[in-house]
Amino acid sequence: MGEGPVISLRDVSKVYRQGSVDIHALRDLSMDVEPGEFTVICGPSGSGKTTMLNLIGALDSATSGHVVLEGRELGSLNRKELSELRRDRIGFVFQAYNLMPVLTAYENAEMVLWVQGVDGRTRRERVMGLLEQVGLKGMEDRRPSELSGGQQQRVAIARAIASNPAVVLADEPTANVDSETAETLLGLMEELNREQGVTFLFSTHDPQVMERARRVVRLVDGNVASDERR
Amino acid sequence: MSGPNVATLAWRNLWRNRRRTLLTLGSIVFGVFLAVVFTAMQDRNWKDMIDLAARLGGGHVSLQHPEYLDTPTLTRTVVRGEEIEAALDGEGRRIARAVDRIVGPTMLATAGENFSAAFIAFDPEAEDETTLSILEALDEGSALEPGDRDGVILGHRLASNLGMELGDKVVYTLTDRNGEIVSGLARLRGTLRTNAPTVDGGFCLLPIGTVRDLLGYGEDEATMVAVFLEDQRRSGGVAGRLDRALGETVAALPWNTSQPQLAAFIALKVGGAVVMEILIAVLVAAGIFNTMFVSVMERLREFGIMLAIGWSPRRLFRLIMMESAWLAVLGLAGAFLITLGPYVYLSSTGLDLTAVYGGTVEVAGVGLDPVLKVGIFPRNAVLIGLFAVVATLASGIYPAWRAGRVQPVETIKVV
Repeated sequence: MGEGPVISLRDVSKVYRQGSVDIHALRDLSMDVEPGEFTVICGPSGSGKTTMLNLIGALDSATSGHVVLEGRELGSLNRKELSELRRDRIGFVFQAYNLMPVLTAYENAEMVLWVQGVDGRTRRERVMGLLEQVGLKGMEDRRPSELSGGQQQRVAIARAIASNPAVVLADEPTANVDSETAETLLGLMEELNREQGVTFLFSTHDPQVMERARRVVRLVDGNVASDERR
Repeated sequence: MSGPNVATLAWRNLWRNRRRTLLTLGSIVFGVFLAVVFTAMQDRNWKDMIDLAARLGGGHVSLQHPEYLDTPTLTRTVVRGEEIEAALDGEGRRIARAVDRIVGPTMLATAGENFSAAFIAFDPEAEDETTLSILEALDEGSALEPGDRDGVILGHRLASNLGMELGDKVVYTLTDRNGEIVSGLARLRGTLRTNAPTVDGGFCLLPIGTVRDLLGYGEDEATMVAVFLEDQRRSGGVAGRLDRALGETVAALPWNTSQPQLAAFIALKVGGAVVMEILIAVLVAAGIFNTMFVSVMERLREFGIMLAIGWSPRRLFRLIMMESAWLAVLGLAGAFLITLGPYVYLSSTGLDLTAVYGGTVEVAGVGLDPVLKVGIFPRNAVLIGLFAVVATLASGIYPAWRAGRVQPVETIKVV
């Protein structure tokens, strides 16, 4: 990790055109995320949370402004470079887990490393360690359909951090699990943040998540309405 | 514990929807089965027809007077001298046998009846059923023996029309090379029954030695030298070389030139068969494409996730193409297993279609065996296999490309 913010948004706007109407999802939004932060983005529906994480995750491009990840301006990267950036520097945790149903827990967690071309032995050591860390030791050979929702999300977390990304973008990671499991998952991510310095950026409506965040950014109408550090 | 690779992932993806995969495989297997059986029927049928025509007519390659084809009279002959022998020797093992024949029209007369007929005069010592297929149709009596100078074999209906029994005498009349009418006397040794009207009612076999004497031919003179090849598909090449070697005095004609009616019939059937096979191939390929495309469209969200976590469009393309490749391999293996049994049965025992055709089928004057057998040329079998693989892979190209074009932001929602 280098000096300065891991994520930097400067005057970012995103306009969608629906028929003849322009929808301003983000309006000149500026914000930084420092390495090792445990940040929550919240706000009402339509406030721009989705758009913001799409831009940071290199899944979409801004209409204007600058989105910078570890000093790299995303708008200047081509399709291949963006793909490599997502592979190497961004981890995703989705609300619906989104594991590959035909792969085992081990294989799902390993996938990013495999795509990166990491050698088998290193992959094995890394993934076995991660699965133990997220509490899935002994469940390596189970497929997603044989795991509970919480267990699947643990696999997704292991997959997201397997490549030591600069940031993990988590989409409502606790929305599909009960509060007890949510508590466990949050504890796990907090531990990864605290002990390994993994930067997490959540989008959530869950008060449980907001309570544990060390920074809460509230979006309203495509811009930052409040930014509270704890 | 080892991780996934593209081949493993593709294999597992294939079996996520077992029924769809089995249906796709079924269409490949069925398509290949149809193509193999259909082609094998054609290959065998045409090979048999050509061989039969060659054995009945002038061989796979016919050496004859250059004007005989246009005006086949008994005055246009060839002499099988040193020049022809040398040319034939030059072809080596490609030539299985070469025999002399005199072919022409005759008038047959008994005390009470007379009928016209076509005749083939052959050397009973040099020929048997392998070069003169009509001998297989011997119904009553016996074939002409070597040295038999006054025997004749008639189509059974012709014999009946002439009111003849075995051993009865018949006078046959020919026009010799000087335009004179000459006659010979023969005794009925046997009759032919082919169910082909032109043969049964108007055909006879005579000993070549006697006919040569009657017509005033020399010892090695005939209206044609019928050349039989090991493989009839080489007839064009062999005929061309012989024709060049023999100069202007002798024409070497491949079977499709000397028997244009049969050649036209086969060309027509080949054209029809190609259209039919293309139709089958397009239908099978469309089926495979459809299932591959639906399979991809159902997984757009999954592909979006894969692209989001770092898969490249090229790797996704490879994954889908690998699924197609698995389908091709499994489809071919299944087709081999499914086709083998019926193919072996049809090639050895065959289907007896006598009840359908009521006996021998006649096409362009060539009688065919009503027992339907198959036999595919190895080259065609390889082509069908290759086509199945190429069609299956080609069916996967667009879906694979489409998978790589997925926009993650449109198929997944981060928040």
